Amino acid sequence: MLRHRAISLVMLFAAAPLFAQQPPTNIEDRVKQLEQRLDTLNQQMTAIRQELDALKSGAPAAVTPADAEDLTKVEVAQAPAAPAAAPSIGDVTTINNPSDPGASKVFNPDTSVIGNFLGKVGQPNPYEFGSDDVRRPMNLDEAEVAFEAFIDPFAKGKFFLSVTKDGIDLEEGYAQFVTLPFGLTAKAGKFKALFGKDNTWHAHVRPWVDQPLVIHNFFGDEGFNDDGISVSKAISNPWNTYIEATGEVFEGGVANVFERRGLNDLVYNAHVKAFRDISENNNIEVGTSYARGTLNDVHNQFAGIDVTYRWKPPQRGLYNSFIGRFEAIENRRGDANDTLRGFYASADYQLSRRLFTGVRLDSADRFAAGATPTDRGVSATLTFWPSEFSQLRGQLRRMRYGDVGRSVTELLLQLQFSIGAHGAHTF
Amino acid sequence: MKRIILLLASLALAANTFAADKLKIVTTTEDLASLTREVGGDRVEVNAIGKGYQDPHFIEPKPSFLLLLKNADLLEVVGLELEIGWLPPLLDQSRNNNIRPGGPGYLDVSQGVEILDRPTGAVNRSMGDVHPSGNPHYWLDPANGVRIAIQIRNRLAQLRPADAAYFDQRLNAFKLRINEANKRWLAALAPYKGAKIVTYHSSWPNFTRHFGLDVVGFVEPKPGIPPSPSHTLELINLMKEQKVRVILMEPYFDQKTPEFIAQKTGAKVVVMYPSVGGAPGIDDYLKVFDRDVADLLKALK
Repeated sequence: MLRHRAISLVMLFAAAPLFAQQPPTNIEDRVKQLEQRLDTLNQQMTAIRQELDALKSGAPAAVTPADAEDLTKVEVAQAPAAPAAAPSIGDVTTINNPSDPGASKVFNPDTSVIGNFLGKVGQPNPYEFGSDDVRRPMNLDEAEVAFEAFIDPFAKGKFFLSVTKDGIDLEEGYAQFVTLPFGLTAKAGKFKALFGKDNTWHAHVRPWVDQPLVIHNFFGDEGFNDDGISVSKAISNPWNTYIEATGEVFEGGVANVFERRGLNDLVYNAHVKAFRDISENNNIEVGTSYARGTLNDVHNQFAGIDVTYRWKPPQRGLYNSFIGRFEAIENRRGDANDTLRGFYASADYQLSRRLFTGVRLDSADRFAAGATPTDRGVSATLTFWPSEFSQLRGQLRRMRYGDVGRSVTELLLQLQFSIGAHGAHTF
Repeated sequence: MKRIILLLASLALAANTFAADKLKIVTTTEDLASLTREVGGDRVEVNAIGKGYQDPHFIEPKPSFLLLLKNADLLEVVGLELEIGWLPPLLDQSRNNNIRPGGPGYLDVSQGVEILDRPTGAVNRSMGDVHPSGNPHYWLDPANGVRIAIQIRNRLAQLRPADAAYFDQRLNAFKLRINEANKRWLAALAPYKGAKIVTYHSSWPNFTRHFGLDVVGFVEPKPGIPPSPSHTLELINLMKEQKVRVILMEPYFDQKTPEFIAQKTGAKVVVMYPSVGGAPGIDDYLKVFDRDVADLLKALK
């Protein structure tokens, strides 16, 4: 019995410290604890205030201590989660949802404007390149205004307006269907025909100030650009080569190139391209195009081939690269009962991160009433990119027109500048 | 003999079936590819578009990448507009609806990581090539590496629920390995906590924060703008004043200006590799830190 009492007493003594660790029931103890917590918070606030003062005074911020956390316990960073259990209806209170009246603006299209400012010095050119064939020593030739956005889950809408002193022209405006079945993509609207390479480029993508002669002489200032439908398909093959075939139908409204004589007199264009990486640093693209329509009540046909070779080693690609281009077009004009031919060949080398140089050779027949004189030219360019969004280019151009007895030498200067969000271009 | 032929034929068939059964994954960088291999093991076939020694902002959208994207089950991107200059046209031509943003095969891992340098005020291009949603070089923090791996595990388990336990097991093994490695890296750089450094581009905020380094300036005057003479002179003065001993740069930038600055200030130029595949031997995510920590230590000593 005595033994039992002794054990009970020992147990009571042993339990006493445990009770002492329980939350204080006594008011004084609780006040003491709260005071201690207040002191700790005060100390933390003083430390934060000191850090803020240091930041405001421009003193270097203290380096955050290295993150020595246990990486096995790292979790994905997430937005605060909603309460796990729904409160009872009796506890429901109002919710302060953030109000953002401008939220729907996220659906506004990406908008950009690209200015093309030109300057020209040198001998008078009888066949001035430009929208109005009038020579101007200095001229904001064009502002390209672009709008791009998803229309719905199936298509993107793209509009490119050409704003000049003469007015606003819809350069391109189309819906691009990117989620069609059978591996197809399609475009419908007004767009540049996929004929060769140069014809598909906007002015700011072209590595020269002007168009090559063959494009200018065969398709005019605006190029082969019409209202129509385009369908493309990637062709599977065993050669590790990207092959794409495109078929296009146009209304037939390209001045002096295709002029429709009846409702069903459409223009057809076909293009096949093959792209292959030769190595990590080199690649080659070969394309062939054929277009057929009507001009002056007879057939007008174009056949073309384009080859692009690129060298751009990934590690040095920011500073050095090379692109060689060749494009040849043959034009069988029914109204002239003649075949016109033309080509350009160019080489562009990147000298440093922001400096590029290049040369271009041109040769192209030109349809003139009763004759098809051959024009020839050579150009050298030097391009400086202050940033990704502006470029300054000089092009020294020497042309010899077949029906003009002398050569014309000019220096073309160009400043292109872009504001806004302009979508990346297809390779 | 007949049996052996039959056995070999069925083995070949099984191997083929297994190979065809692998999830085809395309990533925009080799870091994401490496983390995907860590989690996906032999159940995934991974290809990266960008190379580790290439500036990930400026990759050419070559049609050859379309061959990869066309058949991909999953596309993993760094996000925060790192790939904005080249990925959208590839996606438009990919003819693969699954891997478009919002699709089950599109994973933007920036959604679940810790992001630094989020601009707080108005952003415009006078500030250079700023990323309005924050600095996209976040994978250079090992904790974010784990966060990326977790997101990859979650998506792989969604796409292939039958292999979820396998992905879990591999993720846990990776966590243990990176945790051990992280202790080693932190211990190695601990004596240099607070060391002042200069970096070429703003690619290293997560790395320098993790290891307690203090970035006092950049060789680029503004993000994406090549160094100018006036900025270079200012930087030289700042480095002399603050006794900066290290200039940290990526392998794809020109060393001329950093070397010039180093010559004038007595600092050392350290070419650090921000990505897997940046140099021979850096063939997985952990080796990026192994190499960078070792090279940085040499320069700081």
